[in-house]
Amino acid sequence: MVSQSNRLRLGVTAAFVVGLISLAACSGTSNGSGSSAKSKPLVIGASISLTGDFADPGKAVKAGYLLWAKQVNAKGGILGRQVKFKIVDDTSSPSQVVTNYQNLINQDHVDLVFGPFSSLLTVPASQVAKRFGYSFIEPAGGGPAVFDAKLDNLFFIQPAPVIKQGEVFADWILSLPAAARPKTAAYAELDDPFAAPIAEAIRARFEAAGIKTVYKQVYPAETQDFSPIAAKIAAAKPDVLVSGTQSEDAYAQVKSLVQLKFSPKFMYMSNGANSPVEFPSKVGASNTTGITSSGDWFPGSTAFGSAAFSAAYIKAYGGTADTIDNTSAESYAAGQVLEEVAKKTGKIDNATIIKTLHSGTWPTVLGNLSWNAIGEPKGTFHLVQWQGGKLVPVYPADVAKAKPLYPKPSWGG
Amino acid sequence: MHALVQGVILGVLTGGVYALMASGQTLIFGIMKVVNLAQGAMVILGAYLAYQLFVSFGIDPFLAIPITTLIMFAVGVAVQLLFLRPLRREDRSELSLLVTFAVALLLEGFMSITWNTSYRSINTGYENASWTVFGYQITQVRLWAFLLSLAALGLLFLLLNRTRFGRAVRATVQNPDSARLLGVESDRVAALGFGLGAATAAAAGSVYGLLYPFNSGSHYDLISRLLSIVVLGGLGSVGGAVVAAVIVSTSSAIVASTVSPSWSEMTFFVILMLVLLVRPQGLFGTVGRGAL
Repeated sequence: MVSQSNRLRLGVTAAFVVGLISLAACSGTSNGSGSSAKSKPLVIGASISLTGDFADPGKAVKAGYLLWAKQVNAKGGILGRQVKFKIVDDTSSPSQVVTNYQNLINQDHVDLVFGPFSSLLTVPASQVAKRFGYSFIEPAGGGPAVFDAKLDNLFFIQPAPVIKQGEVFADWILSLPAAARPKTAAYAELDDPFAAPIAEAIRARFEAAGIKTVYKQVYPAETQDFSPIAAKIAAAKPDVLVSGTQSEDAYAQVKSLVQLKFSPKFMYMSNGANSPVEFPSKVGASNTTGITSSGDWFPGSTAFGSAAFSAAYIKAYGGTADTIDNTSAESYAAGQVLEEVAKKTGKIDNATIIKTLHSGTWPTVLGNLSWNAIGEPKGTFHLVQWQGGKLVPVYPADVAKAKPLYPKPSWGG
Repeated sequence: MHALVQGVILGVLTGGVYALMASGQTLIFGIMKVVNLAQGAMVILGAYLAYQLFVSFGIDPFLAIPITTLIMFAVGVAVQLLFLRPLRREDRSELSLLVTFAVALLLEGFMSITWNTSYRSINTGYENASWTVFGYQITQVRLWAFLLSLAALGLLFLLLNRTRFGRAVRATVQNPDSARLLGVESDRVAALGFGLGAATAAAAGSVYGLLYPFNSGSHYDLISRLLSIVVLGGLGSVGGAVVAAVIVSTSSAIVASTVSPSWSEMTFFVILMLVLLVRPQGLFGTVGRGAL
């Protein structure tokens, strides 16, 4: 028995040694045939939700990554290496995303990894990248949980963390002359880490500035009928309505307010209202005028490489500049950051990326980005407002394309 | 007080739509003792069909109802023939839970592939119009939805009480064995009854799509509400389903208006528990035989 198992072990060892030798021989010949590290493609792995809950935004992330790769390859690649993406589907599942990044790093030996869609998936994925010493440039995970992990290899490619998204609205309102400022405010907030905290941050600043809270309601995600909430808002008659919204709840809030014929003088919605195509189609284009939200990329932006991005996007995917999904601009910007690191350092490896990105500002289609020690971007979003059926940046002045419109005209106006 | 009355108006109008969905659900249970977990998915499929007819051909969702009900009637009959009829009579009630859940998942998958997972809503252009009556807002589309639901329920009532088929259905609900002995073809009644349940889902779906955004996963929320309504009203009782639907939506609208939206879903379940403690068969259910 014993001898048999020993023989078996010997056999396995022998096979292993032979395998190793032949592997070495293989790599020897391939080196010999003149393939240098320089001309080897730069493979970037990413797990993206192509099916499941995040399928649609996931596809927008993929579109941005691939568009950037195409652009950079047309210019000769990064440091002479063609960029290749290895994209795998995580079915929007936090456990699959872990498996995917482990496989990308350990089996496929990709050179670099980029992030998935959503904070939910970014949190576990960034841990995998950290464990293997990979840098984690990610365009779509900006929730508090992402930064709670305090990782030094993570860089969030948006102007600010999600919960700071509404700061720009508070900045604008508080920059108005005292007489023009709203005196009373109402807050309607979806009970979600990406919605309510944004409105709460604005409320803290408004209350400190003496803007009185006349109504506040946090509502659960299952809320279907917004008429009761809208009725209470209308009864409280606030000058400004701050809505911490995601998407469907934003549309439903607007609809209910239109039905109740109540239009506040100022209105801010954290998300939903910044969707260029969905929002007007869901609430009616004429009801959008004067509603403000937060944005980063916008059509006609003069930020670094923006015109080229816009033109290439339309060429590759059709549509117009107004229908480009911000998510694609954000994932495209992830590539731009990488390109700049290579340009600046002449190297493209994970250690260099991690070391380099912690200092300086980095130009992207979203504007100049910079990060603190745990990958939180240090900038602010732009305030965007619906004017004439389009989403226009109105604040701060250096990016504004139009003056902010206030008071907000009544519905349909 | 104002918020309370506004809540009642909203609740009653919304209740009509739920009554329509739940009537199909309770009918299917009454006839076959099948708890149809796919009823919610069928409502959503009805909503998608109305959405597609509106987007592709500009057919108003209200006018699309005859088309969508016909399609869904066929789907319902097919589901009964393919998946439920093969079940053995003795364990049909238990197995039907699994089978109809599978049908719900099948429909969900089909809808995810066909229309992807983004939320859809049917925007007709009149969805935001409202009347102000004595200071209260009545949304036109909700009123139309309510009236349509009443009309559909009226039709269902006539069908059950004034036609031969209706008599056969009622006989099957009350006593399946005697009905069979008296020459009612129970298999045919079951297939047509399931089709009828699916057809009410289609009619309700058109209206649902006008009122709320939906995606393929919306049926989970719906089915839990529908089951609760049907249980509260008494399994198998169409009238009970209507009353229960109005109670459900009015109580949650009132609580949302006067207390907080966070408590609105909860309120209804409290009512359901209390009723079941006192009357385990539901408001209008009977213990011994079918209630239709």
